[in-house]
Amino acid sequence: MAVVELERLTKLYPGSARPAAEDMSLTIADGEFMVLLGPSGCGKTTTLRMIAGLETISSGTLSIDGTRVNAVPAKDRDIAMVFQSYALYPHMTVKDNMAFGLKRRSVSASEIERRVASVAKILGLDGLLDRKPHALSGGQRQRVALGRAIVRDPKVFLFDEPLSNLDAALRVSTRGEISALHRRLGATMIYVTHDQVEAMTLGTRICIMNGGRIAQVGTPLDVYNNPADTFVAGFLGSPPMNLMAAVSAGDRCVRAGGSVIEVPADRMQPSRSGTALTLGVRPEDMELGEASASGGPGFVGEIVQVERLGAETIVIVQCHDVGRLVTRRPGDARLSVGEMVRLVAPVGAYRVFDQSGLSLQPKRS
Amino acid sequence: MAIVQRTLVLLILSAYTAFAAGPFVWAALLSLRTTTEIHKNQFALPSPAHWEKFPDAWFNSNYAVYFANSLQVVLAAVLILTIVGSMAAHCLARYKFRFNRVIYFVLFSTIIFPPQITIISLFQILVGYGLYNTKLGLILVYVAIQLPLTIYILESFFARLPSDLFDAARMDGYSDWEIFWKVALPIALPAVATTVILNFILLWNEFLFAVVLITDEANRTLPLGIQRFIGDTQEDIGMIATGLMIAIIPVIVVYAFFSEKLIQGMTAGAVK
Repeated sequence: MAVVELERLTKLYPGSARPAAEDMSLTIADGEFMVLLGPSGCGKTTTLRMIAGLETISSGTLSIDGTRVNAVPAKDRDIAMVFQSYALYPHMTVKDNMAFGLKRRSVSASEIERRVASVAKILGLDGLLDRKPHALSGGQRQRVALGRAIVRDPKVFLFDEPLSNLDAALRVSTRGEISALHRRLGATMIYVTHDQVEAMTLGTRICIMNGGRIAQVGTPLDVYNNPADTFVAGFLGSPPMNLMAAVSAGDRCVRAGGSVIEVPADRMQPSRSGTALTLGVRPEDMELGEASASGGPGFVGEIVQVERLGAETIVIVQCHDVGRLVTRRPGDARLSVGEMVRLVAPVGAYRVFDQSGLSLQPKRS
Repeated sequence: MAIVQRTLVLLILSAYTAFAAGPFVWAALLSLRTTTEIHKNQFALPSPAHWEKFPDAWFNSNYAVYFANSLQVVLAAVLILTIVGSMAAHCLARYKFRFNRVIYFVLFSTIIFPPQITIISLFQILVGYGLYNTKLGLILVYVAIQLPLTIYILESFFARLPSDLFDAARMDGYSDWEIFWKVALPIALPAVATTVILNFILLWNEFLFAVVLITDEANRTLPLGIQRFIGDTQEDIGMIATGLMIAIIPVIVVYAFFSEKLIQGMTAGAVK
């Protein structure tokens, strides 16, 4: 069990003008499942590798349980890591792969035997211990990689996109296994992914990264419902939040296209009239109605695409004043391309961002 | 249609096998015949088969000494080449350091020089260091001439090993030295076997450096021993063939022992 603290952690590679990770300040509580989420190249893997001790830290402080570990080699940090490629030793059996780290730590042979057998049983690998990695399926390899980390009983578990090489069905089941494992072990886990579904389903908290910096940290629902900026709003959610160019119409009124929306006080700080803003609304919050219907602010446009996914239908509407808007409707929605519709959302569903993209939502105490 | 195809493939393969194995079979037949018999008819079958030529060559023509010398020189050179070459290749493939590619290029560029260019200077160096006409001198020369090719073959294999493997071993608590011996080298065994076979065959048959750098009868290697049967005006073809057959045995043994790994090494990466 361990608390991991990152204080202004920065990584600048030699010859690179921009840091790969910059000013990362984050505290990961004991037993927490923290997910580092972001697009490719946002610095999440670099951050994980700095925590692991596989990359040197350019500046800032990394502490585990209050002890500064910047200069502590990877082997002495008591951290285990599950790699994207599994990184199983191909010349060793499953059993030897799992025991490899323990042998180096001078654990007795009987204790190694006991631990490997116990973890193999938990992960359903008991019948595969004498096989070599090439004789295993992708899911089995992933479980061996997990087992190799678990047998060491480390302070912290690190996961670097461990599910990205699995097919969709296996990804879902392995995701469930990792979640169950976290509940069972209660260990501190840091998990890197670019997959928002993994982040939302696994994380106690999510740290969303963009361009080497932390964009937002919070619980999955908090970051989804209250994005700190337009990047988070656009990155989380599939389809992502609709973002429209807008201007302040004074106080808490926002004009987007031909509509003026009065945003509730808990969603927006007052702004000066004429200020350029961005208005955001989640696709699931937008209702479709008759184009000729009146009453309340809305956006009229023509349906240009209907994507039927079975359980739901994604509808893309081209509005003449605010551009393309996406809405999520039930699977059996009767809609067709070319139809004129009106999109409306409850005023509480709107999010407002300033010119630099930051949310205008008042900070909660 | 399938039968026609199969027959065609078998015919082509048989023709190629005859082409490739023909000279070997011919030499094997010659090795059981005397030079007088061979001069009468080069392609006749051995009748009777002179098996006594083998002990004769081994005991009376000093082949036992030549064989032992070849074995010592080649095994030592191959052992050094394998260890030093693997370490150098692993280092060049795995670690980023200044002039990494320059060192690699300089090493590799020495392959382009024909051996005749270096032989005079090598002769001078060996005389200068008192290594001329010694097995140690020949071993060092063999290591020097084969090291670039060994590094080239192994480097390309080591470079394909995913860096995650080494990171995982570091997280498991192993030092760079241990990672090389316990992770990198065992995984690279197919490529290492390839270089062992290549180096063994090339050095076992090597003649030019041996003939220039060794003159002492007690230090001669097998290719030099075979040369003894070639005189100024005549040559003992029967005994040359017998010597060839004796010389070829270790190559067959090494190949049989490592061939599976050799094929793995040559096809590594071909399939996922």
